[in-house]
Amino acid sequence: MTEPAIDVRDLHKRYDDLQAVAGVSFTVSPGEVFCLLGPNGAGKSTTTEILEGHRLADSGHVRVLGHDPAASERSLRERIGVVLQAGGIQEELTIAELVEMYGRWYERPRPVDELIDLVQLDARRDTRAGDLSGGQRRRLDLALGLVGDPDLLFLDEPTTGFDPHARRQAWSTIRALCGLGKTVFLTTHFMDEAQYLADRIAVMVGGRLVAEGSPESIGGRDALPTEIRFTLPAGAGLGGLPDLPGGSTTTVRDAGDGAVHVTTQAGLAVTHAITGWALDAGVAIGQLSVAQPTLEDVYLRLTEQPADTTQEVPS
Amino acid sequence: MNAAATRSSSHVAAHRPGTGALRRDLRLAAWQVRYTQRSFWRSRRAAVMSIAFPLMFLAIFGSLNTGETIDTRGGLAFIDFFVPGIIAYAVTLTTFNSTAMTMTALRERGVLKRLRTTPLPTWVYVAGIVGSTILVMVISTAILLVVGTALFGAHIPTHTMPGVLITLALGSVAMTMLGIGASRLVTSTESGMGVLTMITLPITFISNVFYPLDGAPGWLEDIAKAFPLRPLADGLQHAFDPATTGAGLVWHDLAVLAVWAVAGAVIMRRTIRNLNARD
Repeated sequence: MTEPAIDVRDLHKRYDDLQAVAGVSFTVSPGEVFCLLGPNGAGKSTTTEILEGHRLADSGHVRVLGHDPAASERSLRERIGVVLQAGGIQEELTIAELVEMYGRWYERPRPVDELIDLVQLDARRDTRAGDLSGGQRRRLDLALGLVGDPDLLFLDEPTTGFDPHARRQAWSTIRALCGLGKTVFLTTHFMDEAQYLADRIAVMVGGRLVAEGSPESIGGRDALPTEIRFTLPAGAGLGGLPDLPGGSTTTVRDAGDGAVHVTTQAGLAVTHAITGWALDAGVAIGQLSVAQPTLEDVYLRLTEQPADTTQEVPS
Repeated sequence: MNAAATRSSSHVAAHRPGTGALRRDLRLAAWQVRYTQRSFWRSRRAAVMSIAFPLMFLAIFGSLNTGETIDTRGGLAFIDFFVPGIIAYAVTLTTFNSTAMTMTALRERGVLKRLRTTPLPTWVYVAGIVGSTILVMVISTAILLVVGTALFGAHIPTHTMPGVLITLALGSVAMTMLGIGASRLVTSTESGMGVLTMITLPITFISNVFYPLDGAPGWLEDIAKAFPLRPLADGLQHAFDPATTGAGLVWHDLAVLAVWAVAGAVIMRRTIRNLNARD
């Protein structure tokens, strides 16, 4: 049996009057991209910082690559890479100098040129860090996180502030890393990022995990009803629609201005019935869309938990 | 044996406490001196503060007092008083002020936070800063000495060279370590210049740097002598005085500097530990 890259059991961490982490457990397998999602203040950063060895847990079992991060061993820091959300840099040094300098601190650094190519900064290798754009700085951060050839990479909101093009580039870089067998621990606010990168997602709210699963199935996403939307031509009413399959799981709603929303567990059959009817009867329905709930829909539902899951401790 | 097991056992070997690991860290510290030097000379603000500022004072005071002598010091040429004085001041700027600003900037920018995620021990990084600082101090001192001699006819000490070197070494090491500690008093780089000037400028005025304080009230002398700048200036001035015989060592000045060096080491150690503290 392979040892998990990260193993957390019943983790607790409390700041003066706030229980930031209240009994969190999860494991991350080697080679997996694990994503921690959650609103601000959910305890994501605290959990991540405990894993990185920047904070000490109050209680619970934490192992990162088999080590206790609280012991702050150099041998563990040799094997992890951390891309901080707001990590500063020696701004007077150039990209090539920084990659070389940080690389010296590790026993087996990756070659400077290879890393600079990987994050697509080769055109700017002799530019000082202080003169880089936000997106370029973030890519430099990624290069410095990878310079020690880590087995486990922590990415804290790696594409915040990127333009859409740069985000796509960063994602393909991160995807390529997974091909090298690296384990990635990702925190992000972006649903599309989690959807694209993660093998598994855990949603954290109020210091607890409220759901865990693949991007496709988390929160029962795969079991949620399909939503079919279209508009009827002027004058046509809901009464003209045929009987729809799906029994009691199918509901039809008039959304005003001729718009119709249908939710059903029998997405395929209902779509077929509606489009078949429209063609046969010559009804020009418009703006037809068939959609599964998005990860964002599921996430919003999960994070709209009642207030009793947050752990404000009375003083 | 699988690859992972081979790998972790080699890690254990590499980090067994011993001279091998220490030698590697010392080599890393030497590299850090080079990187810190490169950063330093590219940041014009620091270079101006450390080199141009004291040089400007030398030019002004040297020109204003050409051929002057100091009666209270037995007719000592003013320039032979002023060159060691301004060197002591330059040492303060290049070591104490500059190091405190460097550490504050690293903390403020979040560089120290990033450092903690790497295997590099914090002390190695700080050692790089200390080494680089001493190098800048040596360069600044050499420039002042050359300009003072070439343009203003200052006397170059010969038989008192041991006094010059030992006083400089002790003073600059003490002030560098104190500067690292002082970074804890500085909340931001923006306010840093002000805070540090508030600390060093009054001390400079009572430390025999710009003019001799001969005949100053005793209590002011006592205050001045408690800080490291005064014994550094006094010690250097004694060694630069052509009338001095012997090696140019002033034991009570060196003793005060040594006490500050010990205090600086304690404060620096605590600062580094504080940087690594977690909650």
